Amino acid sequence: MSMLLEQLAGNLFQGLVLGAVYGMATMGLSLIFGVLRIVNVGHGAFIMVGAFVTLWLFTALGISPLVAVPVAFVVGLGLGFIFYYTAIKKLIKAPELASLLATFSIGILLEEVIKLIFGSEFRGYNWALPKIDLGVTVLPLSKLYACIGSIIIALILYLWFNKTRAGTAMRSVVEDTEGAKVCGVNVDRVYANSFAIGIGLTLASGVLLTMFIPVGINPYMGGSYTLKAFVIAVLGGLTSPYGAFFGGLVFGLIENGSYTLFALIPGVEPFALTRFLSFLMLLVILLIRPTGILKGK
Amino acid sequence: MSLLKLEKVTKRFGGLVAVNNVSLEISEGERLGIVGPNGSGKTTLFNLISGVHIPDEGRITFRGQDITRFPPYKRAPLGLGRTFQIPRPFASATVRENVAVGAMFGTLGKELSVNECLELADHYLDFMGLRAHADKQAGTLTPVEKKLLEIARALAMKPRLILMDEAMAGMHPKDIDKMVRLIQEVSDRENIAVVAMVEHIMRAVLGLAQRVVVLHQGAKLVDSSTKEALNDPRVVEVYLGHPPEE
Amino acid sequence: MGKRLSTYGPFIPVLALYVIIFLVGKGVQGMWQVMAMLTFYCALGQAFNIFLGMTGYVDFGYVAFLGVGTYGMALSITYLAHQGMTGPAVIIIGFLLALIFPALLSMAVGAVALRLRGAYFAIATIGVNEGFRYLIEGAKIWNGSEGMIFTSELNQVLGRDTASGLSTFWADVYLFIIAALAALVTLHFMRSRIGYALTALREDEDAAKVMGINVTKYKIIAFITSACFAGLVGGTSWALKTPYVFPPEVFEIHYTIEAIIIVLLGGAGTLMGPVIGALIYGLSKYYLSIILPGFQLLIFAPIIIVIIIAFPDGVMGVVKQRLRGTSLARFIE
Repeated sequence: MSMLLEQLAGNLFQGLVLGAVYGMATMGLSLIFGVLRIVNVGHGAFIMVGAFVTLWLFTALGISPLVAVPVAFVVGLGLGFIFYYTAIKKLIKAPELASLLATFSIGILLEEVIKLIFGSEFRGYNWALPKIDLGVTVLPLSKLYACIGSIIIALILYLWFNKTRAGTAMRSVVEDTEGAKVCGVNVDRVYANSFAIGIGLTLASGVLLTMFIPVGINPYMGGSYTLKAFVIAVLGGLTSPYGAFFGGLVFGLIENGSYTLFALIPGVEPFALTRFLSFLMLLVILLIRPTGILKGK
Repeated sequence: MSLLKLEKVTKRFGGLVAVNNVSLEISEGERLGIVGPNGSGKTTLFNLISGVHIPDEGRITFRGQDITRFPPYKRAPLGLGRTFQIPRPFASATVRENVAVGAMFGTLGKELSVNECLELADHYLDFMGLRAHADKQAGTLTPVEKKLLEIARALAMKPRLILMDEAMAGMHPKDIDKMVRLIQEVSDRENIAVVAMVEHIMRAVLGLAQRVVVLHQGAKLVDSSTKEALNDPRVVEVYLGHPPEE
Repeated sequence: MGKRLSTYGPFIPVLALYVIIFLVGKGVQGMWQVMAMLTFYCALGQAFNIFLGMTGYVDFGYVAFLGVGTYGMALSITYLAHQGMTGPAVIIIGFLLALIFPALLSMAVGAVALRLRGAYFAIATIGVNEGFRYLIEGAKIWNGSEGMIFTSELNQVLGRDTASGLSTFWADVYLFIIAALAALVTLHFMRSRIGYALTALREDEDAAKVMGINVTKYKIIAFITSACFAGLVGGTSWALKTPYVFPPEVFEIHYTIEAIIIVLLGGAGTLMGPVIGALIYGLSKYYLSIILPGFQLLIFAPIIIVIIIAFPDGVMGVVKQRLRGTSLARFIE
């Protein structure tokens, strides 16, 4: 019995560790929706780009993935600004459909460009780090780094939002765009910054995700993350990056837990069923409470 | 005969009481003005009548039916029409098609074929003086033309009552007079009650409404004929001594 | 007569294009497969347009309907063959299932998703195709991830020769018919109450509600119709032409992407739009595949972004503007 409990505890812990990374990966999505009210349907593709940045830095330049995190963030900032000023800005006032399709198409564009540069085979890298024993479970150090990295980034974001002028301006736009304008906030600049930061966060999360799963990197890997991100975002309230983080933790727990459960049932494929479960979660949450189950800030 | 009746209607948003225990009655063919500054609750009251919000307390009856919990689309075929302050035409459809939509889903909706609706649309376009623009895309009209379209569309629904949402805000006095005459004419001719929402008793309401209800902080302050309301000291006080616009 | 013409007139150029495609395919050496591909895209576009074009809502999981339609046909053939049934009745039942399965799926998804506004709806649909695929694989329904191969069952049901004729010719003919039907239904919607309600809710959902339109009801009508046509397309073009079905293939988001491109390119919400879009995209893809295979998305993704920003009404939007007020306008929809 204690063996089972131990296993369960270990499982839950692993779920939380994974969840932290998932949550961080969704913060950008929630930030962009919260400020610009735009759903970035191409979210997964940006995660993929972050993964490729890591891959390239590691295999071509021998640079550690830890360094890749800020690099990917900066690349993401750049991409964010580019896409904002060329496309997104013009679609803020357009019907919802336009921005949905535009972000979707941007995602496809990214996939195809990466495919052009790197080819479509599955790649990976081997960041040979030892495992660490944490008492409740044994983790590869890379996964631990990914989790800690996610938490650190979430904290930095928290400080940014609450302690800096730019961050406060962003929060004001989330609450009341018109009011913010009246107070002299340059809403366009806030939009641009938010979009860029959101994309930067998303690329950075791609790095952290590869620390977790350093294989299977290919141009089309983003798709599955998009669905997960949306489940998490909806769990956390869609407009709140903090909600997204906690939503990620919950999701990580459920995903890990359900996989273990499904593995016990004969005659089913646990991996596939777990992914079906994510989709089901999305529908159920949207049915009960589209504004999210966890109230974020 | 009572057409629309509100009984002790209350609506709260969080801690704020937007509409506070309001009761009023409108008869067939009557023209009523609901007057109040921003924050007086008139927009919420309008939304309660048209179904955008559901009251927390109270009852709304229209033509004898309890419509308190009806969604907006169920109220329209009963004969409750609405126009918006900033006109909301279906921009990519033609002017005629816009008005036809009113006919299709209004009180006569089920009995009319699509072609009959288009003919009815032409009839109201003629009445509002928009026939020349019938085939243009509604989005290309001037703001005044859009207001006229808004009214034509509401009329095509063959309503028994139209809620007019500050339709004359920001209009030239000459246009306002023209609009008021149009509305008076159609109201008399087709026995349509009009409930107009305005910010203060002004030119438009004087001409249009025989009766006004003045709202203050969500509650009914005054419910009397327009003339009496103008001279009512409470109304004057609410507006801090400002006389009605000329 | 004049009224009939102006009501159904716009169907004529669409039908004409389909006939031309058919004749070119039949008449010119080696063009049949190309024309079959174009018809597939036309049918896909027409079907998708019924929902995207008319409601302004995007269903990112659309391919799921093609997938279940394929399964419908596959199951009919496989199961009935094992029961010893033969003859065209099997195919007819297959078509029925190819209609019923997506109808059921769309009702289930719609019950949740269609209550939601624009962006939330899109989010709800994002995982539908993946979700359903993983349900099939995970719970090992219908042979799970192994999929189904029913070449021998098809031969058994129809006889080798007929089966071969079906796969290489008749399935594509059915596809033409489906495309034409979809266009006809689209036009019928446009000219009826349904079309007016959909236009209204697309333009301004709240104003539409206040005018008496039960927006959810009309969204559902468009959603289920669009889904059913998708099922027919899948059942015909996939199941009958290549008698096997694998979950990862029939639930691939790639087809939703192509459907979006086709409808946006040609002009969402128009009758001719999907045909024009299908022709442009299909032919581009074909000719590109000779020089630069697999490049079509790389080229069309930025094109679509430009269209969304600068030409939201697509090719037909531009054409209709030019023709506004002329006598030709009654034939262009």
